[in-house]
Amino acid sequence: MISVKNLSITRSGKQLLKGVNLEVKPGLFTAIAGPNGAGKTSLLKAISGESAYEGTLEINGTAANKYSVAELSKIRSVLPQSSHLQFPFSVQQVVKLAGNHKNITEVMELTGITTWATRNYLTLSGGEQQRVQLARVLSQVWDIKSYPRYVLLDEPTSNLDLAQQQLIFSLVKHACERNIGVLAIVHDLNQVAQFADQLYFLKGGSVVANGNPKEIFTKKIIEETFCCKVNVYHDPCTDCPYIVPDKNLFTTPLKTVNA
Amino acid sequence: MIATTMVSRDQRDVVVLTSLAIALVVIFLLSLSIGQMFIPLREIAIIFLKKLGLFTSVETDSVHETVLWSIRLPRLVMTTLIGVALGVSGAALQGLFRNPLVEPGLIGVSSGASLAVVSVIVFGSTLGLDRHSLGMSIIMPAFAFGGGLLATFVVLQIGKQMGQGANAGPSTVAMLILAGVAINAMCGALMGLAIFHANENQLHMFTFWTLGDLGGASWNSLVIATPLLLVGIIFLLRYTNALNAIALGESEAFHMGVDVDRVKKSIVFFAALSVGASVSLAGAIGFVGLVVPHLIRVVFHSDNRLVMPGSAIGGPLLLIIADMIARTIYAPTELPIGVMTALIGAPFFIFLLVRSKRAK
Repeated sequence: MISVKNLSITRSGKQLLKGVNLEVKPGLFTAIAGPNGAGKTSLLKAISGESAYEGTLEINGTAANKYSVAELSKIRSVLPQSSHLQFPFSVQQVVKLAGNHKNITEVMELTGITTWATRNYLTLSGGEQQRVQLARVLSQVWDIKSYPRYVLLDEPTSNLDLAQQQLIFSLVKHACERNIGVLAIVHDLNQVAQFADQLYFLKGGSVVANGNPKEIFTKKIIEETFCCKVNVYHDPCTDCPYIVPDKNLFTTPLKTVNA
Repeated sequence: MIATTMVSRDQRDVVVLTSLAIALVVIFLLSLSIGQMFIPLREIAIIFLKKLGLFTSVETDSVHETVLWSIRLPRLVMTTLIGVALGVSGAALQGLFRNPLVEPGLIGVSSGASLAVVSVIVFGSTLGLDRHSLGMSIIMPAFAFGGGLLATFVVLQIGKQMGQGANAGPSTVAMLILAGVAINAMCGALMGLAIFHANENQLHMFTFWTLGDLGGASWNSLVIATPLLLVGIIFLLRYTNALNAIALGESEAFHMGVDVDRVKKSIVFFAALSVGASVSLAGAIGFVGLVVPHLIRVVFHSDNRLVMPGSAIGGPLLLIIADMIARTIYAPTELPIGVMTALIGAPFFIFLLVRSKRAK
């Protein structure tokens, strides 16, 4: 389990995160949502080992800073919002960068990129590139080990069409079945409702609500978190709540929201 | 299917590297044979065998023997080592900075090393040190390495100041290159100042260090520089997988288990070591480090497991061909090697710039 206790980050005198507590359990999909500037990416970067923090961060019962860079790469993989490859690598070469060549065929087939194996990665569309990157990230921790592994995703579906978004989340859920814990920043609350097992709402650097999305997706909590009027319905097809922003968007004057 | 594709690509890489290696051996032998004085390959073989204690009774031309053993062979060994060092350093630095336009010269290694060497020559002779003495053959590689390392360190520091955060974006790379241009200009100006104090003989040397010259090769000069070159080359070749990961970005490489800071420092150190040692032997030879890795990428692919060893073979291949042309085209006069590599490299560099602009 990834266990975050009382984690804070301060940069140039500004507190980005204040006393955050969070858990990512193996085999579960944990989502982080919240307004822009809430500190979601800062939290993900701290958990991935990329940035400094105050507080306690443990991965599988050991303090995260006790792991070497190489050890950490065997426990967790990270999908950033976007990656910019500078040289023309083939799709297969990009997936192989994860260093795990044993499972490459399985992961590429699962993510549906086998037929592109020899194509130049740079000529793919944004959605296709994201699928290749997801294959790389999954490949890094795909092999079943004696210890749980984790995948950290920073807005994995930004700029993707509806079908690609659903595909990415389905793949992520499939990863959970291999005892991989998933932590993802997601903006689309309806997708969170459909796929996530656990949700943390972050606002102003603090966790303002957490729990099962079906339980915490109330009109009050969402409106307070996003300062935005919404209507929450129940979708009988998915048995999940679905959220529709109100036409009269803001719960507070625009000036306050911008501030 | 994927497994088949991977195997075939790996096999193709082996074929590519083997073909390049065979081409290098052929060019090496041709270069031993061709020059102001033609030495047949058969006679070359006999001279080598005689050195090994075989065919000692076979008569060979003693002049040919001297030319081959004391002039051409050390020159070719030196050219090969420098070609490998420049090719591998260029590939490693391009991979590290994630920019195909980077070469050791662009980020200050060559000019820093040249400045150090020119300073040693101009001020060393004032102190009574002879350029061809053993002391100088120790001092010069050390100074060239130090100068190259210092110049690169300054360029990196400027780049670091401009690019905060773990992931070096395009603007950071642009800043590094611009910082390199500035440091190159400064080293050029300081070399000018050193030359201001130089006598006529030293002025002639100035041309040598700025354009490169392989003519001064001797077994003595190789004694100190060869270990430095080899250490730099061998260590740089160890970073192929790390460079592949860095191609996606420094953050991504870190996530994939690469200790980016350590790799970065090591690559810069070993590139400065091997390029510095090259400069101490033959001056600043441009464009090899730029053109060769890029050619490998354009003709084959960008995986550093091919680009790095490919550049290690392609570098000396290009340099030996350029040297053959440089010493035969105006025989008995020799063109500085830098002139030939620049004549081949500069149009290619412009082509790269235009191509990258179009790609955007």
